Amino acid sequence: MRHVIAFAEHRKGQTRKVTYELATQAHELAQKLGGTAHAIVLGEGAGALAESLTKYPLDVVHVAEDPDVDAYLLDPTIDYLEGAARAIGSSIVLVPNTMYGRDVASRLAARLGAGLNADVTGFAIDGERVACIAPKLGGVTITTCAFEDCEYGVATVRPNAFAAQPGGAGARLETLAKPDAKPYRMRIVNEVEEASSELGLEEAPVVVSGGRGLGGAEPFTTLLKPLADALGGAIGASRAAADAGWVPYSLQIGQTGKTVSPKLYIAVGISGAIQHKVGMRSAGTIVAINKDGTAPISEFSDLLVVGDAFQIVPALTKLINDSKA
Amino acid sequence: MRIVVTVKLVPDLNAEKRIDPATKRLVRTGMETVLNPYDEYALEAALQLKEKLGDDTTVTLLSMVPESSKETLRKALAMGADDAHVLSDEKLSGSDVFVTAAALAGVARKIGFDLVVCGGLADDGSTGGVPGALAEHLGVPGLTNARHLEISDGTITAQRETDSGYQTVTCALPALISVTMAVGEPRYASLKGIMGAKRKNIALLSAADAGVTETTSRTELLSFGPPPARTKARIVEAADGAAGAQTIFDFLRERKLV
Ligand SMILES: Cc1cc2nc3c(=O)[nH]c(=O)nc-3n(C[C@H](O)[C@H](O)[C@H](O)COP(=O)(O)OP(=O)(O)OC[C@H]3O[C@@H](n4cnc5c(N)ncnc54)[C@H](O)[C@@H]3O)c2cc1C
Ligand SMILES: Nc1ncnc2c1ncn2[C@@H]1O[C@H](COP(=O)(O)O)[C@@H](O)[C@H]1O
Repeated sequence: MRHVIAFAEHRKGQTRKVTYELATQAHELAQKLGGTAHAIVLGEGAGALAESLTKYPLDVVHVAEDPDVDAYLLDPTIDYLEGAARAIGSSIVLVPNTMYGRDVASRLAARLGAGLNADVTGFAIDGERVACIAPKLGGVTITTCAFEDCEYGVATVRPNAFAAQPGGAGARLETLAKPDAKPYRMRIVNEVEEASSELGLEEAPVVVSGGRGLGGAEPFTTLLKPLADALGGAIGASRAAADAGWVPYSLQIGQTGKTVSPKLYIAVGISGAIQHKVGMRSAGTIVAINKDGTAPISEFSDLLVVGDAFQIVPALTKLINDSKA
Repeated sequence: MRIVVTVKLVPDLNAEKRIDPATKRLVRTGMETVLNPYDEYALEAALQLKEKLGDDTTVTLLSMVPESSKETLRKALAMGADDAHVLSDEKLSGSDVFVTAAALAGVARKIGFDLVVCGGLADDGSTGGVPGALAEHLGVPGLTNARHLEISDGTITAQRETDSGYQTVTCALPALISVTMAVGEPRYASLKGIMGAKRKNIALLSAADAGVTETTSRTELLSFGPPPARTKARIVEAADGAAGAQTIFDFLRERKLV
């Protein structure tokens, strides 16, 4: 028997769809493993989020609304998770594959002496053995990798890979006791927002991405943002655009940026260099707008419209908005 | 101050990568290896610190690679690192994050350090898990995704990137950081650097030398295969903006995406 624990990433109680995807998946896995399904919510606003998680098919939602979690980087979070995992017993811990989630997962796995499987898009179960399906080597290989026979396994799960489905009889809420005092070593002095946090790039169902072809910072806000808003998505960028200072590096997609797998990726004025491709090749549908019909992106997109982005994008945004009216 | 920079050597992005069906390991020999691109940024950050902190600061490279590819590290020595420690042992081939971090921790402890600097992600394994795990194994704070660093009085203050901006975080040394690309473009090696690198020391260590006893991976690759194929795009010349927009709109409709 193995239990499954979902870590709920959030910011002051605001969370993203991936949290509910993990909660749902925790239940499905736990059923197959004959164990129970748990979620853990920590920090400011945890109470409200925990409440919303009780509507998902979990057995227990563990909460600690402890200000130290937000005042110190990672240490208190890892202490809580370690304590909870040890109390629950042999389990698989699911963490979102986001910037923060990757840090949580790697620290927790080392702490628990657990295996770590990253960027997981599926699970395969054989008895009590859990294997994770994940793209590797820049997406050229899809691997199935099992957790060895140890007590814990930690998986970072790719957003949008699993469905979120409320249900169940209503989870029990439990308050987590504060773990024994260990020094918290990394103090968060301040926090500055540069990009919208409503929708993380890695979780967005649609990404509208701009490259050198946009020629400056302004088109990202005047051209791409309205299209992304119309589609309910987020904006991204090529490295050329980030290097030029048009957008923060946090929006860069590719080998040295983020990996995204939205259901729709629109590449505007991006040539499709291999370093960009490895960050977006697993998107469901890829549409490119480019002046050059022979740009490398033509080799791996579904539709390439050859033309001027400055003409096409506003017209497309209008078509989409009008269709909703 | 002693800075240790972890550097992985990875197959060139354009090289055809192959997993050996028998051992289920990435074939790392017989192909061109390069410095993991992210780790060039880690080295750049370390070299910037050395410039600021003065000459009694040393920058040591730490890499776990097959011995045959260790010469690739000359490029990093030419950029300005002082020396390198290479951990190379058949027992460690195919290590997962847990074993890699445990092994690197063994060597880092042996070298001694005030600061360990890691890249954010390795090009081949791409778990991004080693920096956090290494911090745990070393029992030091792990300040990840730093893009701007200051060190004074034994304390680091860093801006670290988050999903939506950045945080300013402080911690005491010894510590581990991982960096993002925003620390600055890696420098080119000067001619003098390239000549000097030939004489710099690359120390070779076995698992036993590093005091590494833990060599059993916590994960096991069962199988692998190609991703669903992507075909070449339908290419449509747009007569004007409106026509181009209509083509895309119709296509998105067809796929039920709008
Ligand atoms: C180690 C390393 C790591 C890297 N990591 C990354 C990474 O993570 N992500 C990444 O993206 N890149 C990365 N790169 C850089 C990559 O090699 C390319 O240089 C970069 O992706 C190019 O960006 P781009 O497509 O925006 O620019 P370009 O290649 O210059 O392409 C611009 C495109 O815009 C089109 N265009 C111009 N004007 C218009 C218009 N008005 N309307 C429509 N189309 C127009 C042009 O035809 C052209 O195809 C990396 C490189 C290295 C060496
Ligand atoms: N075998 C290795 N030798 C040295 N450094 C490594 C090794 N594996 C990982 N690292 C470091 O850890 C970072 C993240 O790697 P990974 O967790 O494998 O994606 C890299 O950028 C390196 O700095």
